Amino acid sequence: MSRPKPLVAAIAVATIAATALSACSSSSAKKSNGGGGGGTGGVFTSIDANNKITAGAPMNPFNAAPNMFLGYNEMQMGFSKYDPSDPNAMLPGLAASWTSSDAGLTVQLQPNAKWSDGTPVTVADIKTSLAIAYTQGTAGPVASAGGTVVAGSNFEVSDVKDLGGGKIEIDQQPGVKNLYFQRLVLSAYIVSDKVYGSQLPADIWSQIAAVQGSDQSAAGAAATKLSAEGKTIAAFAPAKDVSAGPFVETRVNPGEALLDRNQYFYAANKISPKQVILRSYSGNQQIWGYMNGGELDYAPYTSMPTNILNQVLGAGYTRMDAPSYVSASIAFNEKQAPYNLTPVRQALAYVIDRDAVTKVGEPVGGIAAPTTTGLVGSQSDTILSGDQKAALNPYKPDPAKATSLLQGAGFTKDSSGKWHLPGGAPWTITLQTVNGFSDWIAASTIVANELTAFGIPTTAAITADFATYQKEMAAGKYAVGWWLVALGPQTDKAYARIYGSADGFSVSNGQATYNDSAPTNWEHTPQTYTVNGQSINPGQLAAQLSVTPVADQQPIIAQLAAATNQELPMIQIWNYTHVMFTLDKRFTNFPKTGQDDLLNNPPGVWMMQGYVQGK
Amino acid sequence: MATATATLAASVRSRRPAWAAFRKAVTRTPGRLAGLIIIVFFVLMGICGPWFYGRLAVDPNALYAPPSAKHWLGTDFAGSDVLQEVVTGARYVLATAALSALFTSLFGVTIGLVAGYQRGLTDSVLMRLTDFVLTIPGLPLLILLSTVWSFGSPWEMGLVLGITGWGGVARAVRAQALSLRERGFLEAARGLGLSRRHIIVKEMLPNIAPYATMQLMLSMIAFVGAEVGLFFLGLVPFSSTNWGVMLNQAVFSGGAMETPAALIYLLAPLVCILLLTLGIVLFLDAIDELFNPRLRERA
Repeated sequence: MSRPKPLVAAIAVATIAATALSACSSSSAKKSNGGGGGGTGGVFTSIDANNKITAGAPMNPFNAAPNMFLGYNEMQMGFSKYDPSDPNAMLPGLAASWTSSDAGLTVQLQPNAKWSDGTPVTVADIKTSLAIAYTQGTAGPVASAGGTVVAGSNFEVSDVKDLGGGKIEIDQQPGVKNLYFQRLVLSAYIVSDKVYGSQLPADIWSQIAAVQGSDQSAAGAAATKLSAEGKTIAAFAPAKDVSAGPFVETRVNPGEALLDRNQYFYAANKISPKQVILRSYSGNQQIWGYMNGGELDYAPYTSMPTNILNQVLGAGYTRMDAPSYVSASIAFNEKQAPYNLTPVRQALAYVIDRDAVTKVGEPVGGIAAPTTTGLVGSQSDTILSGDQKAALNPYKPDPAKATSLLQGAGFTKDSSGKWHLPGGAPWTITLQTVNGFSDWIAASTIVANELTAFGIPTTAAITADFATYQKEMAAGKYAVGWWLVALGPQTDKAYARIYGSADGFSVSNGQATYNDSAPTNWEHTPQTYTVNGQSINPGQLAAQLSVTPVADQQPIIAQLAAATNQELPMIQIWNYTHVMFTLDKRFTNFPKTGQDDLLNNPPGVWMMQGYVQGK
Repeated sequence: MATATATLAASVRSRRPAWAAFRKAVTRTPGRLAGLIIIVFFVLMGICGPWFYGRLAVDPNALYAPPSAKHWLGTDFAGSDVLQEVVTGARYVLATAALSALFTSLFGVTIGLVAGYQRGLTDSVLMRLTDFVLTIPGLPLLILLSTVWSFGSPWEMGLVLGITGWGGVARAVRAQALSLRERGFLEAARGLGLSRRHIIVKEMLPNIAPYATMQLMLSMIAFVGAEVGLFFLGLVPFSSTNWGVMLNQAVFSGGAMETPAALIYLLAPLVCILLLTLGIVLFLDAIDELFNPRLRERA
């Protein structure tokens, strides 16, 4: 007899998933969602799209996939407003206020800031948390040991001093000038010294001093030790959650995480929900199902077609939009011919109809990229002058121009309408995307169709998972594939997605060095471009951005935008919009569209500011 | 000696013309005939379907359009014709299932026959190998292999499904072979000094063939379900349109379980799978009679 094991297993998986889902639904359905306020607002139900519930994972924010949820039980001294005009602008968290200076930062902790075990938040907690940041590679030169440091991504604290009365001085490493020190320090995870202190060696700050020192050998040895200690910290599983946030985690099961109100939270009177339930999910359609049933009080955006959007709105949800600062693009590996030719990339840009692709791939949460600059439209529109914007080529669909560019580069078209490379070989494209990225997959269908219709047979190929995709892309395996650019409102970080480690540039203190054979370089663009008759080094310009105050960045960004628009190391297809939904049924007083500083943060942060009250 | 054996075999195999027997078995009930028609329909769809269609057209202005004269089954997430996708997607599904079944039958029958006839050390070695194959978890193996292969070609998935699926067939065929080798005509063949290869291929295989054919068709049902299930669950990447991909995109991207917009996109491949399974099951009834003398006599 044949033995259809895959079928049986597939059915088993589906059955288990269905059982788990139904179990999850029924358990949640039993909980009351009654109204109220000031701690009597019932149960606030949501999902955390950034941090899925992981069965068995520790309640430790330094774990790679922890059961910790930002703004609820995972706390920072401040929460970024994601303001491109001032990346250091923060909403208060455990820090009530702060003053910044060249030497560092002075922070005033929230009066009455306490952990959920009733003990106060002290300088020891801050000091331990910032030391842990070094072990996790998010601070200082330890991060650069991995070879992927981007200035502005890491902070360099040399000391933490108790000034008394809840005031703390946090010193920046002498000689280092990080423009974003304030934001990076305030947005570090803060954990209890009582819980985590014992996980650190007594000489942790001596190790940090050695890492920051001029003795290269001692610095290297200390970095290695810190890195090893980081692994211990990441694996640490506290017996229970001790949180300084508005909620504390009571229970986690594969279906949901249950968080109860932290009675010791410094602004407990502002927190309306008595409980928060964060539902588990395995795919977008589950979240759509929750929303159709009116079960979520808040839902972050998940890729959806317009028919689902209409249904969700019909179920009573209110849509809110905020800037996203992320752009989906099609990137090229210029080491693989013919993508080393600028006319080829430009021709492809003329063939791809970005409006049509966006309509299919990201109809609700995407706006067709008006042009390729390396930044999202709202950023480049604000920063560039009218003349500079007018000089950008939008690459509106124009097959004639594409044909002309290709013919000029020596490409030929045969009698069946298919293009051939200058050497005569047929030209085919494999457009790589990732399993599970439904918007990229759907969009690839359209792009492949458009390119095939133009005479370049194109196939959309799918990599099993994102980790494999990143690994294979870094190894230069893909000639053409999807890539996210403009990650975040910080312009130097946005350009680092193009002219950073993925392109052979290594940045330190505002200086870029280039290595075409760097292991992470899969783009392989030239080190310099000639734009408007002037030779520029995009990696160096991107590095300069990291040490240039926002107010002075415009001329650099203008050069980078013009170069990116001309050379197209990648074609921006759509800019994402941060879409989210709230249900005004059990809770009210949600932030509204326009309150970008709040909307770019999770609902726990809204609650700290007094939003989200029971009805 | 050879003449005597041939006569012996021919007397078993040629009691009545094969075509007439086949026609009689198939036409005995309307269900069997319907089964054959359905199978032929899908085989023709798999072979000829893509010839009738050109490139899959997309229309971003007609996403999830309802059925119309232009699009009999409406359109999908990209405005592509669902009927065209069902027809062109059949080839991958059927080819993969056929290849899987072929590999299963090939490996299972060969190893089962040799083990059953040879017995002794050969039997032990081959059965331990079979036990090993039976323990291979097919699903995790496919997921693992999906990091290496895109499964864009039916050969790749057919090979993996077939290689992990022949163990049961081998065991069953071995049992049949053990029984057969004690029959008189095989005793006679051995007594006549015929070669081992001749006995296995010329004498035993024809007697196992009906059973193997049944297995081949039954395993096709299982393999269609397996491959479509894998694509539906998104456990393997995909680079071509087929019924499993349609199910996946209808549910996970189109919201077919939440809104009716993508319902036809979901139902179209489901109905095809259902019909194909039904066709095979109905037709198997005829095959069963064809190869089972007792059933034939009763009828």
